[in-house]
Amino acid sequence: MKIVAADLFSLKIPFVEAFAHSAYDRTYSDSIVVRLEAADGTVGYGETVARPYVTGETVDGCLRFMANVLWPAVRQQDYAIVPKTVDKIEGGLDWLKGIAATLPRNAAESCTDKSVIAWNAARAGWELALVDCLLKSAGRSLAHLLPPKRSTVTYSGIITTGSIDQAVKIAKRFQQFGMSHLKVKITGTDDCDRIAAIRSAVGVDPSIRLDGNSAYTVESAIATCQDLAKFDIDSAEQLIPRSDPTALAQVQAAAPIPQMADESLITMADAQALISAQACQGFNLRLAKCGGLAQTIAIAQLAEAAGIHLQVGCQVGETAILSAAGRHLAAWLPQVAFVEGSFGKLLLSEDVSRTPVQFGYQGKAPILRRPGLGVDVQDEVLATYADQTIHLDAA
Amino acid sequence: MNIHTLIENNYTAQVQAFSQSLKFQQLESGQLSLCEIDQFIQNLCRTHLISPQILSFLYSIAPPAVADTIQHNLLEELGLDAEGICHPELLHRLMAAAGFDAQQRTAIVAAAQDQLRSRCVTPLMFGTLKELGLSVLLEVTCFEWMLSQLSSRMGRALQTHRGLSSEALEWFYHHSEVDVRHAAEGVDSVVEYVSYYDIAGDELETLLDITFRENVFIRRYFGALTPNFGVLTPGPTDVSLEAAR
Repeated sequence: MKIVAADLFSLKIPFVEAFAHSAYDRTYSDSIVVRLEAADGTVGYGETVARPYVTGETVDGCLRFMANVLWPAVRQQDYAIVPKTVDKIEGGLDWLKGIAATLPRNAAESCTDKSVIAWNAARAGWELALVDCLLKSAGRSLAHLLPPKRSTVTYSGIITTGSIDQAVKIAKRFQQFGMSHLKVKITGTDDCDRIAAIRSAVGVDPSIRLDGNSAYTVESAIATCQDLAKFDIDSAEQLIPRSDPTALAQVQAAAPIPQMADESLITMADAQALISAQACQGFNLRLAKCGGLAQTIAIAQLAEAAGIHLQVGCQVGETAILSAAGRHLAAWLPQVAFVEGSFGKLLLSEDVSRTPVQFGYQGKAPILRRPGLGVDVQDEVLATYADQTIHLDAA
Repeated sequence: MNIHTLIENNYTAQVQAFSQSLKFQQLESGQLSLCEIDQFIQNLCRTHLISPQILSFLYSIAPPAVADTIQHNLLEELGLDAEGICHPELLHRLMAAAGFDAQQRTAIVAAAQDQLRSRCVTPLMFGTLKELGLSVLLEVTCFEWMLSQLSSRMGRALQTHRGLSSEALEWFYHHSEVDVRHAAEGVDSVVEYVSYYDIAGDELETLLDITFRENVFIRRYFGALTPNFGVLTPGPTDVSLEAAR
């Protein structure tokens, strides 16, 4: 199956309310949606989010890489129709790996950007679009490739930085929604008061974990964990900046809270180094950060073999497309400790899917079983909120 | 703070934020383009064309003490009370006067219906219907509170800057009258609802926070007109009205 055209939509969808953490304040989604058209007329959608402080990719850089590197490679391919063996798990994974293998990892000379750790966000957006397109063409759901191991996926609420009063308000909202898992963004300022107030507001039942978004030093990370452990914290995510895994291992060894790697975990080599250094007890897997389904699954399998707990994370402001892909992954993984994402219109003023993908009461959401990723994308919404659109065809 | 005051404070804050918003001020001062004014009219019609359905839902879950009031509002909305003014018909009159052709009016009605579909297919965030009902009741009565204060001003703005007649704008002037009564009754309905369903004070505060975490009027009336994000579906350009401005 040939891919005959592609459209890239760089979106700006306003948030219902601002979302802040230690690295950035956001008021709108800046997702990139990839729309591919196959020779048989089937249309597939993928999505990614570029984060300069994670993979080093910017929106503009991603768009350039997609147009100059990925599109020339994809348009030359004649993609295999989804094989019958795809119903067997290994067959499905092989097919996904085959799709991912058609996407170059390295930039052409004109796209070289020394600050980019890996073009994972760009590749993830295209991998998802190809998967959606080719599966739709075959009338199959991604759930056939990645058979779900659970009937629902349970999401966490995420509490942004900002005033403690505001954080408590948001915590109470999630409690009203019946959610049992909360992740709290911390910055190094008033952490103890913040977590005490939130724990007091929601009571002892909800699980609470922390996310520092690299705002701490090794010493302050250890001290913070020592201060906050009394609030029954499940994990502390990426307190220190991405660096040699031995630094995170120092925190893990001295802190009374299990550490989770996020920005430190981008590539397969990162995963191997973190495991070797015994740097953490958990990995936060994010499709856009880790390079798409095939690469994320490879990291997950490595982690599971090493006894590392897994969290399926999300990108702030992701739309239904990336949320749906995360849902499939979270439903398929044998063990998943926490899942994030699928906020839909709880965060976005408009989502791209006609039928919402967002979670409901208690953070629960069903398995998606419609063809492809299972999202009915509205092109008019993409057009309305596109800050920039790039059309690519065979010419 | 008693419940009555808590609710009134929330409504007052919502109305104030709306009346002081850039878009509302631009509407009043004639700084919106004709296309933007027409989008506002479309959004307003889309919002209020489904009022009978929303009121029906509220009637079905109303505590006995306020069921008659909500039933009366529903009948009034449909023009089945003594006055006999059907509100959706006033909106159709407004759309016709604004120059929307049959296809455009059909699209607006479909968009209104689609809101109901969207509400039905969106996963429920609450454990029981009582929380959802309260959230809907809060938004509806807050709209009545706002319309009692601002609908005449919106009507005058459309008369001045869009050249619409008083007859075409009856929906606005009618609401400025009836919603003075509705506004007071609305707050009483919420107080009764909270009491009937045993909703605790902190739960009410959280539900107020969830319902009003963004300005409901800006979202409904100007949702597609957020600065720098373009207009969803441009309305018709009326050349004669352009000349009249």
